[in-house]
Amino acid sequence: MKTMVVVAARELRGGFRNPWAYAFMALFAVFMLSLLLIQSQNYVAGYSGATGTMLNLVLYFLPLMTLAMGAFSLTGEKEDGSWELLSTYPMSTLSFLAGKYAGLAAVMLTVTAMGFGVAALAGWAAGSGFSPAAFWQLYLFSVSLSLLFLAVAMLIGALSRNRWQALTIVVAVWFFLIIAWQPILIAALGAMPYLWIKPALTALTLLNPAEMARLFTVVKLGGGAMLGPEYYEWIGWIRGPAGTWGFAGISVLWICGFVLAACLIWERGRRRV
Amino acid sequence: MSEPFLQIQKVHKVIRDHPIIRGVSLDARRGEVVALCGGNGAGKSTLIKMVAGILQPTGGSMTVGGLTWKGDRRRYVSQIGYMPDDYRFTGSFTALETLTYWARLKGLGRDRAAEALAEVGLDQTGRKPVSSFSKGMRQRLLLAQALLARPPLLLMDEPTNGLDPYWMDSFMALVRQAAARGQTVLFSTHQIPIAEALADRIVFLRSGEIAFEGAKEDMAAKYGQGGWQAVYAEVFGLKAQRERQQAAP
Repeated sequence: MKTMVVVAARELRGGFRNPWAYAFMALFAVFMLSLLLIQSQNYVAGYSGATGTMLNLVLYFLPLMTLAMGAFSLTGEKEDGSWELLSTYPMSTLSFLAGKYAGLAAVMLTVTAMGFGVAALAGWAAGSGFSPAAFWQLYLFSVSLSLLFLAVAMLIGALSRNRWQALTIVVAVWFFLIIAWQPILIAALGAMPYLWIKPALTALTLLNPAEMARLFTVVKLGGGAMLGPEYYEWIGWIRGPAGTWGFAGISVLWICGFVLAACLIWERGRRRV
Repeated sequence: MSEPFLQIQKVHKVIRDHPIIRGVSLDARRGEVVALCGGNGAGKSTLIKMVAGILQPTGGSMTVGGLTWKGDRRRYVSQIGYMPDDYRFTGSFTALETLTYWARLKGLGRDRAAEALAEVGLDQTGRKPVSSFSKGMRQRLLLAQALLARPPLLLMDEPTNGLDPYWMDSFMALVRQAAARGQTVLFSTHQIPIAEALADRIVFLRSGEIAFEGAKEDMAAKYGQGGWQAVYAEVFGLKAQRERQQAAP
């Protein structure tokens, strides 16, 4: 635990000295301000065209940023010789990777908080903007996306030998999960017998963190009706008393699963003869 | 004679079907300084990395203080201070921050980090970013890192690269102090005078095998007055090559 805290503190400190973190922070703030400008004529509450646009744009931007930062941080450890040195230290792979995850998560959450903070201040100053509930829900959506994709980034970082390899995998994963997912999902479900569609949809939704977070946020914002009959059970579940806790539980399982998978791969590399 | 602290027995290492280390056996007692010499690609760094637990041997066994890496990894590495040959520092951190991070991972505090910095003469520059450091200063920072926990076994890969003559002497003094404290030292070097001045025993590696092992007195007895030049010529086949060139019309 102590090792994890030391690694996390170093990652946090290094993250805020990294010009990339500030570039992402500035980009995210500009991005959020632009979205605010788009819907500046209206006061937005619940699910609407404006919240939908914002949801989708955050969905494009944040996972790519998180995947790149997380995967590069791990491959950097390998390329710089840092891991080679740390492997002669009395520390476990799990505490090292968990520390990296915690530190990077703190950096990512600060970046998103800054972006949302700037947008909220600007909206408040302009006298328009999102309702506090919609704004909070969108912020939680960004936080969950960051945390879930950071876990995926850990696995990519563990699998990649260098930054170039990591970049290739990051772009491929981002493209598959964010851009290509919906058309592939529609094509795959269309080819299935009718009775398989609902269970397949449930399983596939749980496999994609972006889809999982998007679905949860859309339903929480009150836009569940637009999702179609296949999602009725999801809507009922998310709106139910256990919905938020259930989503949090699944997210924690997802994160733990990916970080543990990254640990196993990292450890296998250490033990390889 | 005391039991060897470091024991390497018939160790092999094959990387992508290419043998790097071929059946090397070597041991070192507490307080002994052993120098690994040899040309480029002789297997010096690979052997040191295997002892450090960074690489796993393909065959053979290694123990440090009676422990194996696979048997009790945490206690095994706790006995080691490793100084790598190549390391890219995070330039935005100061020397003291960098060393404090390493110290904390070893369960030590900032005070010990500051003390280790002073041991390598970097106490005045401890608050400067490592990006402003010269190659020699970075080497000294890595040396401070290896010395942090005063481990029973010091492993150093080309530790004198980039050191100026003053720090070369200081490095030798630090190694002698470590040996006097009972720390075993295994280091690799291309610089024969360093090996001669520091080591109780010198091991020459050639293509992953031990070509010569002994004290400098043994070397003198075997190779006469030719000194290290003669050893290199013999061990690396330069003598035969020169003789062939002279015999050619």
